Amino acid sequence: MAKKNFVLSGLMQSKVTWAVIAELLILMVCFMIRPDFFSISYQPSTGMLYGSLIDIINRSAEITIISMGMTLVIALGGTDLSVGALVAVAGAIALKFLRWDVLTYTTPGDYTVCPYILVLTIPLIVCALMGLFNGFLVAKGGIQPIIATLILMVCGRGVAQILTDGKQFTTGYSPFRIIGQGSFLYLPMPIIITIVVVIAVALFTRKTAFGAFVESVGVNPSASRLSGIKADKIILIVFLITGLLSGIAGLIYSSRIMSNDSNNAGLNFEMDAILAVVIGGTNMSGGKFSLAGTVVGSLIIRTIVTFVYYFGIVAEATMAFKALIIAVVIILQSEPVRKYFAKRSRVREAVLISGGER
Amino acid sequence: MKKVLLLALVLVMALCASAYAKDVVIAFSQIGQESDWRTANTDDLRHAIEGHEGWKLVYDDGQQKQENQIKALRNFITQNVDYILFTGVVSTGWDEVLKEVNEAEIPLLLIDRIPDCADKIDYVAAFGGDFVEEGRRQVAWAGEYLKSIGKGDTDVNVVIMEGTTGASAQTGRTEGNLKALKEYPHLKLVGQQSGNFTRAEGQAVMESWLKSIDKIDVLIAQNDDMALGAIDAIKAAGKVPGKDIIIVGCDSVKAAFDSIVAGEMNCTVECTPLYGKFVVPTIEALIKGEKFSKTVVHPEEGVFDMNGGIDLGTVKSIKAADVIATRQY
Repeated sequence: MAKKNFVLSGLMQSKVTWAVIAELLILMVCFMIRPDFFSISYQPSTGMLYGSLIDIINRSAEITIISMGMTLVIALGGTDLSVGALVAVAGAIALKFLRWDVLTYTTPGDYTVCPYILVLTIPLIVCALMGLFNGFLVAKGGIQPIIATLILMVCGRGVAQILTDGKQFTTGYSPFRIIGQGSFLYLPMPIIITIVVVIAVALFTRKTAFGAFVESVGVNPSASRLSGIKADKIILIVFLITGLLSGIAGLIYSSRIMSNDSNNAGLNFEMDAILAVVIGGTNMSGGKFSLAGTVVGSLIIRTIVTFVYYFGIVAEATMAFKALIIAVVIILQSEPVRKYFAKRSRVREAVLISGGER
Repeated sequence: MKKVLLLALVLVMALCASAYAKDVVIAFSQIGQESDWRTANTDDLRHAIEGHEGWKLVYDDGQQKQENQIKALRNFITQNVDYILFTGVVSTGWDEVLKEVNEAEIPLLLIDRIPDCADKIDYVAAFGGDFVEEGRRQVAWAGEYLKSIGKGDTDVNVVIMEGTTGASAQTGRTEGNLKALKEYPHLKLVGQQSGNFTRAEGQAVMESWLKSIDKIDVLIAQNDDMALGAIDAIKAAGKVPGKDIIIVGCDSVKAAFDSIVAGEMNCTVECTPLYGKFVVPTIEALIKGEKFSKTVVHPEEGVFDMNGGIDLGTVKSIKAADVIATRQY
């Protein structure tokens, strides 16, 4: 009995628990307003499950994927502001390879100018290299991550614009559509990709020592170096991963709309990703990180957006509404609130124990 | 050394002056390259002015930053250009720099986005889209179309997908949409949400609407991009865009024409970026000494749909398939 309550008090202190509670609360409100919010049906025309919950997970894919990398960057004590711009770059390159020259290939149709394998790999390679560039500035140049990644945040969209001559290319190439609009095992493809990415990152960080190294570098780089961890290498790998993941998110985004949108693709994704990580319980000052928490954080952000669309909050109030919910979630997770609840459960525990003795 | 430099500078200035003396110099401060629409706008004005004999264009791309545009306008004043064409990235904050333009006595032509301070400054002519009328036409088309297929008396559910909150196109078109809805009492407004003028958000908003609103008959999207995004969401929900849900877009970009011809979109209300044909004759007339009133001149714009022939009072719709080949953007 006592042990169980100890677990409870530990859970109450964990930020992840509060993130889950917040998500469940928002969903509960949705359920109370519209009981059919949770209904999921099979849609024969697309071969996919169909429902608001599926939408939430599906639409959160880009942020979840990016924030897997962002979690590691933040665990290192940094932030990566360039992820949104990299989303635009990946989309621009993919569409460039699909269409090459809109003046020659005037109508968007079911064709690709370059081999499809290049359409998929080149954007990922470029984004990974751009991530590596960020990592290089941070690790070798000793530049603060927020400044180093600001460079690509600002010029990334410019690169995307140049690649496509400032135009929006559209395509109808069906294999490309599969990434964002296809399905596998009755689920939308972005969900499948997200699951694969989350599992891959989790295995890489938790089944190897890499995760521990990241946390160690995040807490104290010099001490880690002295204890034999190559901090530079860790930083390079983390930024490379984040770049690569932004590239994957970029492919999903552009496949959803079957075009590139250098101005709006990935706009403010860096903020959403940072928010997802923070809601998920990873501390901005570095150290311990929680991938599961980040996934919940990302889901919370998307649930709020879906809530706004679903229940028709007026357009002007949307931003204020989102901010309000996020503020409540963050306050719920703050140190004093968590301590208060943990204390209460400890008191209960003490009462239960003494009651048991009597 | 200094003297040589000074001499070179004087020479260059003299050369410039002599070059300017020959040509009419028209400076253009553009917002930047934000969309296909904007690109078409720039290209059209560029070709029109550069292609005109004896005219020279000084073009400045503001890269969507107000400070760049202010800098550009001040440069135009120092260069003492003959005419300034201006469209501002935002609607406020231009008072001071435009007054400087007035003080330098350079004729100012406002195009596309008319700044809020327009009544406080002097300008020789203004051309801009009539967003309220565009919004009115969107709803009126839906209403008239429903009448034409014999559904004029049945109640239909309408959703409005708005643009970026606060953008002049959004406020104007919303005003027009809502005003026109009053004239068609059978059109019931059941949803109103911002899709931020982007395809991705248009898709996400429509996706949620299809689940939260039991029956949607008409979608009014304040630009074509959002309409195109919504079409994907409608397909994913197993419905047929253009039939189960009537879709009215705005802007008339090429992709919308393709979509109308393919039968997935019903109508697009034009918002033309092609100002060259207004600006060139105006400047020609100004050179001759003619004067224009300060009222904003709206370009003549069409409405394009699947079959054509819907009468909207001010304009009659045109069959998209007939004109698709001539579209420039």
